[in-house]
Amino acid sequence: MSATDDVARMLTLVPWLLERPGASLDEAAEAFGVTTQVIRRDLDHLDFCGLPGLGGGDLFEVNLVGDRVVLRMADELKRPLRLTPQEGLRLVLTADAVAEVAGDDLPALRSAVDKVRDALGIPERVADVVAEEAAGYVADARRACAEGRQVLLRYQGRADEGPRDRIVDPWTLHVVDGTWYLQGHDQDAGDRRTFRLDRAVGLEVLDTPIGVPAPEQLPPPRYEPGPDDVEVTVEVEASARWLADALTIETVEEREDGGARLTFRTDAPRWVARLVLMAGGGARVTGPPHVAATVRDLADQAAGAYRDD
Amino acid sequence: MSTPKVERLVNLTIALLETRRPLTFAEIRRKTGYYDQSDAESARRMFERDKDDLRRLGVPVRTRSTDAFDVEQGYLVDRRDYELPDVNLSPDEVAALALAVRLTGEEGTRLALTKLVARAPDPAELQVAATTRVEVAADPVDPIADALVSRATVTFPYRTAAGTTAQRRVDPYAVAKRRGAWYLLGHDHDRDDLRAFRLDRIRGDVEVVGEPGAFESPEDLNIAALVAGPENDRVEVEVAVSPELRWAFDARGATDTGRTHRDHWPVLRVPGIDPWRDRSWLLGFGPDVEVLAPAELRDAVRDALAAIRDAHRPQVAT
Repeated sequence: MSATDDVARMLTLVPWLLERPGASLDEAAEAFGVTTQVIRRDLDHLDFCGLPGLGGGDLFEVNLVGDRVVLRMADELKRPLRLTPQEGLRLVLTADAVAEVAGDDLPALRSAVDKVRDALGIPERVADVVAEEAAGYVADARRACAEGRQVLLRYQGRADEGPRDRIVDPWTLHVVDGTWYLQGHDQDAGDRRTFRLDRAVGLEVLDTPIGVPAPEQLPPPRYEPGPDDVEVTVEVEASARWLADALTIETVEEREDGGARLTFRTDAPRWVARLVLMAGGGARVTGPPHVAATVRDLADQAAGAYRDD
Repeated sequence: MSTPKVERLVNLTIALLETRRPLTFAEIRRKTGYYDQSDAESARRMFERDKDDLRRLGVPVRTRSTDAFDVEQGYLVDRRDYELPDVNLSPDEVAALALAVRLTGEEGTRLALTKLVARAPDPAELQVAATTRVEVAADPVDPIADALVSRATVTFPYRTAAGTTAQRRVDPYAVAKRRGAWYLLGHDHDRDDLRAFRLDRIRGDVEVVGEPGAFESPEDLNIAALVAGPENDRVEVEVAVSPELRWAFDARGATDTGRTHRDHWPVLRVPGIDPWRDRSWLLGFGPDVEVLAPAELRDAVRDALAAIRDAHRPQVAT
């Protein structure tokens, strides 16, 4: 943590402590998201802060009795520093995104955001996370999570040819960049799985309670490379650079003409082949040969329908 | 022993807050006892660095002339610019904001929240089902935040989809995130039109070039439509689809024509198709979809498929 981070925290710690005489080190650490050691160090510094120049009389008075803190003679900083535009915008964005997701459960959040906007002079509608439609399954999925009931999910997996039905013990819903994910235990696979709700074809909440409960720690959905993955290299033109956003890319080599060479690992080469088709000629798989062959075969098969044109 | 930097910065802030008239560098030295190195140049440099650090934190250090002849600059912090006004959040609102910050795990918002609630009573902890988590990842917005909030015109080097980079001059109206990408929406001075810019294509510094409050954003700004691209020229297309994938077209409001094609594939009519943008969506289905009409789209899909096939032919060693 840099000295300026420390100063930013201390300028807020002063009014926070003035408002809460006798607050404990633990409470302060919790409020600022740091350890009690950091708060102790801040207090050591604050003991030497105050109106400078005129000797000891005008310095802050920090009393630490046991783990309780009393700060006095610090009225020069009795109010916190304004939020920077970055801080204000981030807070509003965060609160907006949560209100979008859980607004009905948290009516106070919207009014809080309005007050924060007003106080900080952040214009309305200056930032937005545009959520994709998820065919209305979100509400049902959330209900199933809350009530601990199984769902029957009709789902188009990346590696599947068509949608399949599966019984899932739903654990949590995540919104990442406007896309909804359901995490849970897939009974057929016998393992935890992450489902994108925009690939769900149907979702039915069942009466049966979930069989496998959510683990204590559930990391958010992320692609984790597995042992059966293949490493794929794709050359993209500038027009097909969006491919990089759809994949978890390991390396990007920029080209002079605005294109790039992308390298990544995948467990679903067929899905990658379909992405390459979507690029409409702006992307070319250069390795491995069997993935390039999959693209060629799909394109050849598809082009066959138009042979007589 | 030299004073720790954090104490120096806090005390410099207090000194500048507590003065009613601008303090010259000499006065600041006298009042604080800092910057007293024998080398005047390095003392001055240290002060300049401290001043910049405070400004980065958001401490509004103002520079004023101290006499009518503009001979020497003085410095002060106006308490009204420094202090956060009371936001008067109710305990429920404080609890809701705290929960929002916790759900997203955005560490960058934690101190902001603590600032806001430093003078408010601590609310009861809000218990909400932890079955929903939200990810915001707002880092890319930081460089544009100042200009957005203050309504100031900016310029930045921007890489177009075609791969060339050019300087753009924009009145920033809003930022929006869609499918993982952040966009800046604003008035493009060069093209005199509303445009959406991807923040990850800004290739360099965002520079403020005008005064704050230089413009108002339009009342009827439709953020979702702007980042989704122009709505014009939507057409209805006719496709034959594999029964397995029919659901994907039903989701886009397709209707059944009652006719079939090839191996009993249903022929569907899909409204609101953007012939350029949705061409890629249709191509992604590969051999599971055949575009029947309009003829221009059918030709475009056929040519793209042939080009993809040819580009993926095995390289013949020569």
